[in-house]
Amino acid sequence: MVFLTLSCWIRSRGPDRYWKVQEVLKHARHFRGRKNRCYSLAVLAVRRAFVYATKARKLKKRNMRTLWISRIAAATREHGMKYPALMHNLTKSSVQLNRRVISDLAITEPRSFLSLAKLARARQQEGFRAALGDGKEPSGVLSRVVMLQ
Amino acid sequence: MLSWTKDVEQWATFARSWFLIDARMQPPGKIATMCSIRLQGKHKPIYHALSDCGDHVVVINSKHIAFSGNKWEQKVYSSHTGYPGGFKQVTAAQLHHKDPKAIVRLAVYGMLPRNLHRRTMMQRLHIFPEDELPYDIQANLTEELPQPREIPRKLSEYTQEEIDAFPRLWTPYVEAHQNIL
Repeated sequence: MVFLTLSCWIRSRGPDRYWKVQEVLKHARHFRGRKNRCYSLAVLAVRRAFVYATKARKLKKRNMRTLWISRIAAATREHGMKYPALMHNLTKSSVQLNRRVISDLAITEPRSFLSLAKLARARQQEGFRAALGDGKEPSGVLSRVVMLQ
Repeated sequence: MLSWTKDVEQWATFARSWFLIDARMQPPGKIATMCSIRLQGKHKPIYHALSDCGDHVVVINSKHIAFSGNKWEQKVYSSHTGYPGGFKQVTAAQLHHKDPKAIVRLAVYGMLPRNLHRRTMMQRLHIFPEDELPYDIQANLTEELPQPREIPRKLSEYTQEEIDAFPRLWTPYVEAHQNIL
């Protein structure tokens, strides 16, 4: 355990180089091996870690989206549909929920998700129903063709 | 909410279920896809790669799988022992003759992600060459999955009425010229 508070209070005392080293080592204390205490190794590792952190800020968004998609895909298959069909038909029905919200619904509110799946199903079959059906609306589902550009 | 209901919810959410798959006359790749999805837990909306939410899968009748085409003779399983000249190659038929579980196991192993969880997930895959299961596994089973392919019937399994009722495009030469011959 490293207690830095006291040494920071009396910061005005001591050589400048000591504080420069501490600024770098502060970010390297949890690293593995000698790079958490040797400056020349730590400065390289910290620079690399900051580069990774910068890149990861973009990657995180991408990874979260893939996670939501795989969760929605799992929930959709429980109801006998496929992920692309669900998303495409929800878009066509003007359901403006993003993937994060839909995956949250799939986990915490399975019945709300089921109604979304039913809506997408009805929208998917609308063309068939117009061509082959008896001209009635599907029961329990409000679905209108929305012309999207 | 009471604390113990949360406990129950947690246990119920992360409980492992046991799936049964009958591989009789099924393509091994199709069986392996179903297995790998369930072993990873990708069939659950709570899926996360680190949360270890995969289920157990029991595959029976792995001796009676069906490859399409000429894969039994032409599909080659390669391995290397690590010694000089230790490169082994066996066809699917030879491998299946040696170990009736191997083809399904290798197909599933190849479909799982290449990470440290791979061996753990493989331990939750139980393959049996025939349809007899030990009691401790049979007692755990929760759900049987439908087969991905419909098993085609052999000609000997059709009754004579069904054969006669089957529509014909042409009359065989022997029947057409029965009177003349």
